[in-house]
Amino acid sequence: MTKYFLLFALMLPVAPGVLANRVDDRDPLTIIEQTQTHILETLDARRAEFEAEPEKLRTVVREDLLTLLDLEYSARLILGKAGRGVSEEQLDAFAEAMSNVLVNRYSDGLLEFRSDRQVEVLPMKGKNTEKLTRVRTRIKLENGGFAPVDYAFRKTELGWKAFDVTVEGISYVITFRNQISPRVAQDGIDKITEEIIAGTFKIND
Amino acid sequence: MARKTWVYLAAILLQALIVAGCSSQQVTMTDPERDPWEAYNRKIHSFNMAFDNAIFRPVAKGYDVVMPDPPQRGVRNFFRNLAYPVTALNLVLQGKFEESLTATGRFLMNSTVGVLGFFDVATKLEMPYYEEDFGQTLAVWGWKDSRYLVMPIFGPYTARDFIGRGFYGYFHPVSFAVREYNNYIPLVVDLISLRAELLPFQEELDAANDPYVLVRDVWLQNREFRIYDGEPPEPDYDALLEEY
Repeated sequence: MTKYFLLFALMLPVAPGVLANRVDDRDPLTIIEQTQTHILETLDARRAEFEAEPEKLRTVVREDLLTLLDLEYSARLILGKAGRGVSEEQLDAFAEAMSNVLVNRYSDGLLEFRSDRQVEVLPMKGKNTEKLTRVRTRIKLENGGFAPVDYAFRKTELGWKAFDVTVEGISYVITFRNQISPRVAQDGIDKITEEIIAGTFKIND
Repeated sequence: MARKTWVYLAAILLQALIVAGCSSQQVTMTDPERDPWEAYNRKIHSFNMAFDNAIFRPVAKGYDVVMPDPPQRGVRNFFRNLAYPVTALNLVLQGKFEESLTATGRFLMNSTVGVLGFFDVATKLEMPYYEEDFGQTLAVWGWKDSRYLVMPIFGPYTARDFIGRGFYGYFHPVSFAVREYNNYIPLVVDLISLRAELLPFQEELDAANDPYVLVRDVWLQNREFRIYDGEPPEPDYDALLEEY
């Protein structure tokens, strides 16, 4: 019995749907600010530990990020027409595979990041509606310049969830979509999900 | 020597195009609206990749190995600063007069205190950096959508930006050196240092499912971002979903 409980507990973090059923009533700006602060503080406090075992940082980042994202929506956007007739399970598997790739990349990138290179969250600008909004941040680079990073949020039943990241105008959803959806149309979603999990699919961002 | 080199280069290019033209494979259009010349563009892209593999990237890698980071940054600063009067001019053409004054200030500051532009003092002083060119000016004047066009060696453009580049070549000191003095050294150093700056992205490019589409998507999105000075219209996410 205990054995099964343990197994179940271990599985929880990778099944965000089960965990995330609480409504998040924070606004998108607060979500980004609090999450960024928490991740960077954790990174500063445990840097040596994470450098020795990057896998630990991945776990921290995964726990922090996954409940904030609308993975299913991102997956649908990426699949487009190629997602026609895809079952709920297939979509979830695909979304989870994608999210792991993203989280791992983000987390490995973080290790090279020093928080004294500051991150600024800018006031919201432009078209923001009740259902769709965009949080702008900029990251100071080594050469003194800035890299603008935006997060697109949409209102769901569980509160505001992020579904796209844009770096210097380059959207993750749009760029991934054009790389992935033709392959899904050609080879089917199961094969591509498998390839993404195995790390053999050629992916880019 | 200069003229002969160009004739030679043109001959190689032509040959590459003819060879590419013979292997006529069916190309499905991946973005008929923005890239109706995809069949042609893909051929030039392949040629560019081959050229990059054989000559451009190895040279840039060598440069990257030989030159320590600070002077490498200095060289980029120098060329960026050299182009800055063109930026200031385009700011005027787009009616951004105040920004144009700041840009002129930045140029003067970096050219003097920054020792001919090698040190980017202005950025350290948090003076804003604008990026404008004739292609962007044409876009602001109303030529919003233009077809994607890949040029041999120089890579991604749109028809609009290629025309803009023609004006730019007229005003830019690096092209001036080539035209008036047959001096190719500044042009070659500019290109090599620029290519070296892009070396870190190679892994991503090699890993792409369709490198041609990746370059096009990234370039076009980033271009629009610049035309709108960092405030491009929101992508129509609903439209992406409707195809679902």
